[in-house]
Amino acid sequence: MLKRTLVANRGEIACRILRACREAGIEGVAIHAANDSGTLFTELADIAIQLTGEGLAETYLNQNQILEIAIENGCDSIHPGFGFLSERADFAQAVMDAGLIWVGPSPEAITKMGDKMTARITMKKAGVPVIPGEEVDGGIEEVLAVAPSVGYPLLLKATAGGGGKGMRAVHKEEDLESEAKAAMREALNAFGDDRVYVERLLTGSRHIEIQVLADKYGRTIHLGERECSVQRRHQKVFEESPSVALDAELREAMGEAACAAARAVDYEGAGTVEFLVTPTGDFFFLEMNTRIQVEHPVTEMVTGVDLVREQLRIAGGERMSCGDLNMRGHAIEVRLYAEDPANNFLPAIGQLKRFVAPTGPGVRLDTGVREGDAVTPDYDPMLAKLIVWAPSRNEALQRMGRALDEFVVLGCTTNIRFLRELCDNPDVVDGWTTTDMIERLWPDGWSPEMSGLIADAGLLIATACESTNHGKVRISTGGDMSIASPFSMINRRFP
Amino acid sequence: MEFKTSDGRREIDAHRDGSSFIHEGVIVHTGQELWMEIDGRKHKVTATKIGDVWWVHVLGHTLQYEVIEAGAVSSDDDSGLLAPMPGKILDVLVEVGQTVSAGEALMIMEAMKMEHKIVAGNDGVVETIHYKTGDQVAQGAELLSLSD
Repeated sequence: MLKRTLVANRGEIACRILRACREAGIEGVAIHAANDSGTLFTELADIAIQLTGEGLAETYLNQNQILEIAIENGCDSIHPGFGFLSERADFAQAVMDAGLIWVGPSPEAITKMGDKMTARITMKKAGVPVIPGEEVDGGIEEVLAVAPSVGYPLLLKATAGGGGKGMRAVHKEEDLESEAKAAMREALNAFGDDRVYVERLLTGSRHIEIQVLADKYGRTIHLGERECSVQRRHQKVFEESPSVALDAELREAMGEAACAAARAVDYEGAGTVEFLVTPTGDFFFLEMNTRIQVEHPVTEMVTGVDLVREQLRIAGGERMSCGDLNMRGHAIEVRLYAEDPANNFLPAIGQLKRFVAPTGPGVRLDTGVREGDAVTPDYDPMLAKLIVWAPSRNEALQRMGRALDEFVVLGCTTNIRFLRELCDNPDVVDGWTTTDMIERLWPDGWSPEMSGLIADAGLLIATACESTNHGKVRISTGGDMSIASPFSMINRRFP
Repeated sequence: MEFKTSDGRREIDAHRDGSSFIHEGVIVHTGQELWMEIDGRKHKVTATKIGDVWWVHVLGHTLQYEVIEAGAVSSDDDSGLLAPMPGKILDVLVEVGQTVSAGEALMIMEAMKMEHKIVAGNDGVVETIHYKTGDQVAQGAELLSLSD
């Protein structure tokens, strides 16, 4: 069992892991850059250590500094979360070489899956279907050379990639060179590796992924699917489980393929195997994410499995605690971003002067921010994940709509209204979610649907607020609000 | 009272009755809490002022209203291109004196690890370029200017 775990991450996912540590009786150590001082995750840790340096390379990506802190503070393990160092095999190896436990799969498994080309080759060998495409090892000339054989539309992807960075869809040959250069530049900046590969773009497909868990005792299981088809700029915004596109038979086939993929690299811990599912029900391996994923809560809600607790358990050498797969009801997650959906989803910054999250039955909020926090351009613009669970998909959509209506964020532009409209969108309601749906539904960009009544009401409210200097003048409650004697309340009953 | 909104300058004809403001069938009650009343149904409203802008949350919508001082002139018509957020210039695609058409990409900048194209809002000639590749820019910085 683990005793003291360093969480090499920040924000929302650091909060998630530190809370799991607290529940498991493991001491949690947070590390944070100077500009993250006093944020929520640093308070959820038993020990919070400030990193020296500025910028990601000197702080959250600084392997040596993080490892030194872990050793100095008597940690026995490091949990990398997602992003940052989570898929760095060299870091996993360094952690293990220092005699600590890496909460994740082996460096070998990370390497095989992290390099998208090697992953394709490994999966082909394991009998898992892969998307038609070409692995490219050289530079721009080779991309241009193989493109005609792959055919258009095609997708350029960073070999070392993830999170939509270094990924470009190319619909016409004349755009190939400029898009390939942009993809390579983005890949170099994001991953320090500018290699890309060329894949056929399967339009109208769904992005469906299978959660897997594997322990050190040879047990490898899948925990059903998550559908993450609704994406903007190849970043997921709306995720759900189960998927309307899967029946028990296809779920079992994909689950088996995912387990085969995991076994092919002797996988340990929690991982996700991503597939594209075509309208005809064929599925192709996209990639395996060798870490906990942003959208893991939807699986937790429908399966009742605490994935982060299982990660800690497996890393500590215990058997996973969950039994056979038993999916129940429907869960949806939306990602709240500080961005302007009406302006091409451009990231936004500002101070969260008001941040009032929804509550009530079946509502879960995973966030790392609080009212008053500043949203800066230093980090990822994701503010929170709002997750709902309900007995059926329809009720889950209604619950998500209700929760989003309650969500008040003032001071920083967010995509809340965009997410709210998705909940009522006929394609979403009918389950016609595909990876190209945002471009298909809003080819000229999204703008909010707003009735004249709302526009007038907003203007009237602004007029009323400005006229009365709302919020500036605090009305005194007077002197007769003295604390009531507890004895006067002794016989009160709840109805 | 006039406000700048995403669809231009707007004002509304409001009738004031004590701490309540009325326009057609909509009533806004002010005080420590804000309430809106439509057809006898009350809805909680949240509003806060940040700088000159009122941020309003009403019925699931978040709206912004910038207070315009009486007699002020709108500055929307300047032809400069401003950085939409702080970031780094990755590439300058045009030269001074070059003729560009609306929608043409002028610069590429990186912010929050994503690339963004700065595009010309109208046809024109590049007059000045204020930054070069690799420069860090602040939000709202004028990147380049176009003449008509």
